[in-house]
Amino acid sequence: MDGLLAFSNELAAAVERAGRATVGVNGRRRFGSTGIHWRSGLIVTADHTVEVDEDVTVTTPDGRTLAATVAGRDPAIDLAILRVDAGDLPVADIATEPARVGHIVLAVGRGPRASWGVVSAIGDGQRRRTERADLLNLDLTLYPGFSGGPLVDAGGRVVGVTTSGPARHFQVAIPAATVTRVLDELGRRGRIPRAYLGVGTQSVRLSEALRQRLGSDQRAAVIVVDVQPDSPASAAGLVIGDVIVSLGGAGIADPSDLRAALRPEQVGETVTVSIVRGGEPRDVRLTVGERSRRS
Amino acid sequence: MGTTLDFVALADIVRGITLEVVGNDAALGSGVSWPPGHVVTNAHVVRRARVAVRSVDGRQLSARLLVRDAEADLALLRLEGADLPAATLGDVSRIRIGSLVVAVGHPLGVRGALSAGIVHAIAPIARGGAPWIHADVRLAPGNSGGPLADVSGAIVGVNAMVAGGLALAVPIARVIDFARAAGVAVP
Repeated sequence: MDGLLAFSNELAAAVERAGRATVGVNGRRRFGSTGIHWRSGLIVTADHTVEVDEDVTVTTPDGRTLAATVAGRDPAIDLAILRVDAGDLPVADIATEPARVGHIVLAVGRGPRASWGVVSAIGDGQRRRTERADLLNLDLTLYPGFSGGPLVDAGGRVVGVTTSGPARHFQVAIPAATVTRVLDELGRRGRIPRAYLGVGTQSVRLSEALRQRLGSDQRAAVIVVDVQPDSPASAAGLVIGDVIVSLGGAGIADPSDLRAALRPEQVGETVTVSIVRGGEPRDVRLTVGERSRRS
Repeated sequence: MGTTLDFVALADIVRGITLEVVGNDAALGSGVSWPPGHVVTNAHVVRRARVAVRSVDGRQLSARLLVRDAEADLALLRLEGADLPAATLGDVSRIRIGSLVVAVGHPLGVRGALSAGIVHAIAPIARGGAPWIHADVRLAPGNSGGPLADVSGAIVGVNAMVAGGLALAVPIARVIDFARAAGVAVP
């Protein structure tokens, strides 16, 4: 059973290693959540656990309390970034390779506390090429307060940020590569912009005939029910009644897909929107805008 | 696959020292064969002076309640007649958060079932209380009183309850103190 002992020691060492860069996040009234010191002075956590913008604090592994400010939020993927004066707080070791289905992983919560399991699936199997398509589905328990904490491999390297979601019934992790892209965007612009189209939509079914014409097995899309004046959507010529099938190559089956498909790094970029207008498929070029910071 | 992870040999060791504590018809819970000639289990598993215990290989023995402490949730029984091999005790100070642990018991009547997981935390349940082993191991009624073991098969705790999906085990040091206080020779 030497193999088991070696593996057990490896898991414990992984928790210890990840735990050095794992902090408590105190940003909501009930029990706190967990965060990861991802880059010097920047703590990554789950957006739904930071209910306030002021008076957020972070608890270091050695018990110190640090004041934190909200540097940016990406609610579409449940990520928030906090800025702290980190001093000598170690930075997490981020994995360079993505996690794969079947990998043994550990979720680490403030304390540290830990749970283990495997990556059970990646994506939800339907929505290809949106950010949600990369979400790691986990066969492990995210105990209360774990959200925002690191998902680590058996070597203690961070492969994702765990979240149970606001309803606390998911066990998923945002992959490290996605988090890194959001942090790069924050570094480049000094904030995490929120992408903006300016349309109101509702989900509609795609008929068999239309699916054949589109050459797609996508069963639903969204219909435009409102176009805000002076918005990116109106500039691109979208009108009420247009059916949006995909955006930037990501299939759009319901309004939440549209939000998930619009990533912060796309603000200012031009994307192709595939629509159906009057029964005819066509492509529209659209320059993604930024939602004003007040709204 | 490189290193072999042999849970089978580990299961055999731990099953060998796990007992079923039996009531009139149904199993009441589990127990650990320790110290020699005795069985330690939870107080909430044993509520009368005499119970039957059954080893995983099916041997049935009679046991007498020596001492019961509801607050510590521990009870000590003396085996009558035959002896059974006794458990080896581990050292809680050597297990860390993330260490692999296994439990054996009779969850929902399944005899000798093995559950595997890791140590989640070693912390009090209530502020200022004594520490418990919190383990990310799936247990069910029937596991109560059974062993939580490290990967060498040494017992580090006695499973007592499930809270919020976590297994809570009495650390073995408290079990040793309990047996000593009962005047039983502890190896």
